[in-house]
Amino acid sequence: MLFRKILYPIDLEKASLEAKPYIFKLKDAGCMEVHLLYVMVPSEWGLIPKGNYNSEEMIEALKASMSEGYVDGLKRTFRKLQEVAREFEEEGIKAFISIIPGKLSEVISSYAEENDIKLVVLGVSAGSLSFFKIGEIVDIIKASTKPLLIVKSKVNYSSENEK
Amino acid sequence: MPLFEKVLYSTDFSPLAEYALDYVKKLKEAGAKEVIVVHVVDDLSIELPDGADLLREKELFKILPEVDQEYVTSIVERLEAIKQELEKEELSVKLYLKYGNISRQIVKVADKESVKLIVMGAHGKGLLTEIILGSVSTDVIRNANCPVLIVKKMEE
Ligand SMILES: Nc1ncnc2c1ncn2[C@@H]1O[C@H](COP(=O)(O)OP(=O)(O)O)[C@@H](O)[C@H]1O
Ligand SMILES: [Mg+2]
Repeated sequence: MLFRKILYPIDLEKASLEAKPYIFKLKDAGCMEVHLLYVMVPSEWGLIPKGNYNSEEMIEALKASMSEGYVDGLKRTFRKLQEVAREFEEEGIKAFISIIPGKLSEVISSYAEENDIKLVVLGVSAGSLSFFKIGEIVDIIKASTKPLLIVKSKVNYSSENEK
Repeated sequence: MPLFEKVLYSTDFSPLAEYALDYVKKLKEAGAKEVIVVHVVDDLSIELPDGADLLREKELFKILPEVDQEYVTSIVERLEAIKQELEKEELSVKLYLKYGNISRQIVKVADKESVKLIVMGAHGKGLLTEIILGSVSTDVIRNANCPVLIVKKMEE
């Protein structure tokens, strides 16, 4: 079952959403589950306890230690992830949502390990594959012990991705 | 949607590349119909033009020194074996044996054949066994104009 469980790291940018049809299509080759993973990168969250913030209640509780604006933004992200999850469910693919703080490559690889993921699907912008950005994607590929499908966005969104 | 209709499978005949073939076969269920199998040689005893097609340019083969002819013949046999294996799965197959810069030739064939996906191993027959992402894979990921499936496998 080479494609049974797919990990789909998603930041809701256009490039990451362009990978979606590929996962739909992999249902025909045995994909039964998709795990949507939004990673809160350190610049976003500063210091919060490790964990999976995948419910409105858990996100709301972050208001004790984080700015209200940030937490509300995170809630909007969570709701958008729920919409994407619904699209997968409609295609007959079971969907799970995770919101986890940490370093992108580390969170992706440990999630994949812990959840017996068969394939990681990454939608990347041409920008992050350009010579200067190759590091980011290469780090993820190197850290992963699982196969990866890398879907390059046709359009260059590099400016959008500039940090 | 024909997202996986035509697949390029690039192999250096390493165990990991061989394992990647399982993924190519499995993709048939997701619509794969045709597989372009590519191997690139860059280590002949004489220089050939970059991109020379060792399967189709017959006169090229004739000018090769005997050692190279034997080497190329053995590779053609390995490619033919892969072809048969894929045809058993009812996939149609086209072989390429190119000479030149490895990643550049892989991407060139992918473009020429308008493949929808490239399938390859994360590493190959590199001398350093601890390499987790080979230079050919890295350059193909960087330069390909289509999605790339990088196959990894946990060491047992
Ligand atoms: N000469 C080649 N012809 C075709 N494909 C190749 C060739 N060399 C490598 N590849 C592909 O690239 C993958 C990674 O190999 P490579 O990047 O060369 O790693 P390494 O540095 O370990 O040899 C291989 O699994 C294979 O799919
Ligand atoms: Mg190599």
